[in-house]
Amino acid sequence: MVKVIEHKLSREVKAWLKREAAEQKARYKLIVEEQDALSPKRDKWVAEFLERIQTRGFNVHADMRRKIPASEIPKKPRRKFKVVF
Amino acid sequence: MARPHIEPFVDRDVPFKKMTLPGFAKGMQYKMLSLDTDTGAASMTVMFENGFSQPPGMSYTDMEMFIMSGYLESDEKRYTPGTYFWVPPGVSLPALRAPRGCVALMFYNYAEPSFVESDEDHQLAEREHLTIVNAYENMAWTGTNIFPATATGCLVKILRFDQRTQAFTFLYCMTPNFSQDNISYHDCAEEAYHIWGTSWMMQFGNLPTGGYFYRPPYINHGAFACKLGTLALGRTDSQLYNHFHFNPWSTPEENRERAANRILSWKPELYRWIEQHGHNHPHVPHDFEYPNEGDPHAIAHASGVPHDHGDGHDHHHHEEKPKRRKKKVSRKK
Ligand SMILES: [Fe+2]
Repeated sequence: MVKVIEHKLSREVKAWLKREAAEQKARYKLIVEEQDALSPKRDKWVAEFLERIQTRGFNVHADMRRKIPASEIPKKPRRKFKVVF
Repeated sequence: MARPHIEPFVDRDVPFKKMTLPGFAKGMQYKMLSLDTDTGAASMTVMFENGFSQPPGMSYTDMEMFIMSGYLESDEKRYTPGTYFWVPPGVSLPALRAPRGCVALMFYNYAEPSFVESDEDHQLAEREHLTIVNAYENMAWTGTNIFPATATGCLVKILRFDQRTQAFTFLYCMTPNFSQDNISYHDCAEEAYHIWGTSWMMQFGNLPTGGYFYRPPYINHGAFACKLGTLALGRTDSQLYNHFHFNPWSTPEENRERAANRILSWKPELYRWIEQHGHNHPHVPHDFEYPNEGDPHAIAHASGVPHDHGDGHDHHHHEEKPKRRKKKVSRKK
């Protein structure tokens, strides 16, 4: 299936794309900052999740759950915890 | 940069802008949701003002549109909320009007948004793939039918399924009190927009009405929860498989490596075959169902499949496009 029909980009289109790309990059930066600021809350959510999968269980498939033994719970690595890539 | 990971973003936080790209009719406003900064491929919330009217026309790449409020109408038909269009490149749509205004989602998949006035299809148009359905009126909710599956209370309506890439576009809902305690990632990019409702993911927090994400492959998301229910539109760019796990800190690189390792367990024969033929085999394997796709070596280049030419030099670049064998396409309408 043809994905794009070849066509020339006019100056106006190129200028529009340039503006939108700059906005997109700025938005991405802002999201990274906002998500970094959410870190303390996220750490709490993660702790609660790790607790729930040991007590109520981890959803293996649909509503099928498995209780994860403490020995399988991963340890937080030293590197920065990133969620936006 | 291709499409950056935009997650989360809420379109209510930004104003509509006038669409000024040449070709588009007056009275169209948009909010950019995400943009491929290389190709111009774009996802947008679009508002057609009261009295908007556009002539018959086509776009240079495939365009998907989902009507959220108001309606569009042609001389023959009224397209009300829930209507989903998948319009292949070059397929001409009839003149459309929005007498009382209309808000929709629009996706231009492989190139920048374009509109070319034309009451005829382009010679490369594949009209047989044109899809127009109303997701609210005549489709039933089903389970996701993907194994492993999401928890009970996540329901879908499949609006489009590409049998070649297994990319699909779907309406989904989470019922009140939905919860799913696992972390997921996929081999595909995933994109979604909240038409109504708020749901929560452990990484990103709450995503409200008007919330959106475009997430490249192998990025962790989940656990999941939704208190009051959510209605959303989702899309993938290829097959979606739920790689569930419970390591909150794994990276996309680790997730991808795990996915590759899992293929060895699931499809050992295929994995070994690919490994064995992967070296010094400068093209992608042949699919007898698609004999006219063009030069398999050029496809390897275009898809970024690394290979060498028997001279020991790795060969990996993206610029070349597959040469298509000329296919006879009649002008249809
Ligand atoms: Fe997902």
